[in-house]
Amino acid sequence: MTDHHIHLPPASTALLDDDDNPTAPTAVAPQSVGRPSSRFSKIVPVLVLLACGFFFLAPLLTLARHSLQNVPAFLLGRETLFKKWALTPVTLAFKDPAFWPALSLSLKLAAGTVLLTLGLLIPTAVWTHLRVPKARSLIEFVTVLPYMIPPIAMVAGIIIVKPHARWFLNSDLALIPFYVVLALPFTYRSIDAGLRAIDLRTLVDASRSLGAGWGATLWKVLLPNMRAAIISAAFLTAAVVIGEFTIADTLLKETLPRFQATFVGREPQAGYALNLLALLVTTLLFVLLSVLTRKRDVSRRPYVPPADLTAPSTSTGAHS
Amino acid sequence: MTTLDYISVRKTFPNTVALEGLDLDVQEGELITLLGPSGCGKTTALRIAAGFEFADSGAVLVGGSDITRTPAHKRNMGMVFQSYSLFPNLTVAQNVEFGLRTRKLPSDQRKRRVHEMMELVQLTSMANRYAHQLSGGQQQRVALARALAIQPQVLLLDEPLSALDAKVRTTLRDEIRRIQTEVGITTLFVTHDQEEALAISDRICVMSQGRVEQLGTPTAVYRNPSTAFVARFVGSMNEFEGQVGGGAEVAVLGRHIPVPNARAYGNGTPVRVLVRPEDLSIAAGGMPGTVTSVTFQGATTLVGVRLDVIDNLVSVDVGQGAADQLTIGDRVGVEISGINAVCEPV
Repeated sequence: MTDHHIHLPPASTALLDDDDNPTAPTAVAPQSVGRPSSRFSKIVPVLVLLACGFFFLAPLLTLARHSLQNVPAFLLGRETLFKKWALTPVTLAFKDPAFWPALSLSLKLAAGTVLLTLGLLIPTAVWTHLRVPKARSLIEFVTVLPYMIPPIAMVAGIIIVKPHARWFLNSDLALIPFYVVLALPFTYRSIDAGLRAIDLRTLVDASRSLGAGWGATLWKVLLPNMRAAIISAAFLTAAVVIGEFTIADTLLKETLPRFQATFVGREPQAGYALNLLALLVTTLLFVLLSVLTRKRDVSRRPYVPPADLTAPSTSTGAHS
Repeated sequence: MTTLDYISVRKTFPNTVALEGLDLDVQEGELITLLGPSGCGKTTALRIAAGFEFADSGAVLVGGSDITRTPAHKRNMGMVFQSYSLFPNLTVAQNVEFGLRTRKLPSDQRKRRVHEMMELVQLTSMANRYAHQLSGGQQQRVALARALAIQPQVLLLDEPLSALDAKVRTTLRDEIRRIQTEVGITTLFVTHDQEEALAISDRICVMSQGRVEQLGTPTAVYRNPSTAFVARFVGSMNEFEGQVGGGAEVAVLGRHIPVPNARAYGNGTPVRVLVRPEDLSIAAGGMPGTVTSVTFQGATTLVGVRLDVIDNLVSVDVGQGAADQLTIGDRVGVEISGINAVCEPV
């Protein structure tokens, strides 16, 4: 396929009243060419998918059975498979007096970490891209460090400084800076990819030439065009925070993972039910993420020509 | 409407001098093209006018007031970029409206202005499209409307056509000129394409290595290039070896041809003479040679001739009738007939 024109659906061609090709053509994907398909090549992908599906779903199904069905494993059979399922173990977790404060703290920490991360990273990344592009690889390396150095190393560091910074470490929100560091490998990569995907310099220059200062440029031009990157950075950060145990445990903060750890000891079945629920909620969040980051093609505030100007006019306005 | 003046503007980057004391005055409503090869400083000059770069020394004046240190967003410049610069998250109409919003214009005035601009670039039907739903040519027209919407003092165009294909480039070039004349806005246009510069400009400023080589009308730059660099960069040239033969004449292969800038060199100085293809002609009794190529170019035909005496390949512009009779291998004579040659010492 060499020419997009021929493959444009009739509706699209009718809409184009200009003289050249669209840059983002509504082109049809090229038809696959090459080897004729054999029965073998059709079966293999299906088998691989089934194997992967089994690999992911089997543990979840057994977890669900263990936590939500009151039938001992050795009594499981055709007759008992669908019997005695109940959601009571989940409600048991909800009724625990420590659950809601723990959930609330984890959500607060997630929100705080997301805000601090984005507030620090976006201006830094924009500045690096525009002014010191050579430093990008160095920053990229530094941001991977938290991934290479285990959290326990950070914990050892915390223990050393603990006597000097008690006022800070006593606060529940003291976890936020640590979580910002822990989430760096994911968030920086996401923001960096978002910046690479747009023509940053031109957009910034265009915005500034139209009278927008740095703040307005960041707020009105860059952030909306990095929406997908920002949303995914935020979700990844939240996922890290909501699942982190080591540091919270060291600093004795009653976060959700710490509640889960103690709760599963007291109420094993309800504990596993809670874990299953956490997994499902996370999955739903990521589905939501992919919906939110989808590009929209229709404006929410469409342009309507002013009523008194519907007749053709040649006036161009006076220039100062 | 206003003027734009560069006064001894100097700008250096690490390891390079981008502008070496640029002096340029753009008159009210005038379109000046900065023309030159890449790295000649033309884009730097434009970015200094826009406020994206600041001059190391010298001054930039708009309408007589000094804007040398004014940040970009406080200047009143309309700019169109080489790469597509529409904000992807906004529709065409919202893009055009952007600069009006930052200026906090009331809604009804904004609407009116957007409408005028869309009509000016004839894209009213595309108002609700996003950039990725437009062709390259359409995107640049919207960018032009967006730049003009804010009623800028000066319009700055940074190679706005170079990302487009040949046919659209010509159409849009003519449209830019039409709109510029209609609005009467002072304009600085940067390009490396000499054909574009010749077609669109009131005056052309040919630049090389951070300096102005020549500033003049398209005809003057083409017909009377002041330096060999300008002669070579604007249009194509044939080169002959010769010797200054007193006054404004150079002796080339036994012929005396008038070369205006030969006066600058002493009698007998060996020089290289540059002559345009249209200043050579096929004539009996001319320098003998053999036709090596015949390239049809529409109105004229470019004929390549290898001269016997100097084993040099020259190209000659030939009118329609004469070209039809020529074929490769023909023996012909070549005469230097023009007076628009320029020379440089060897």
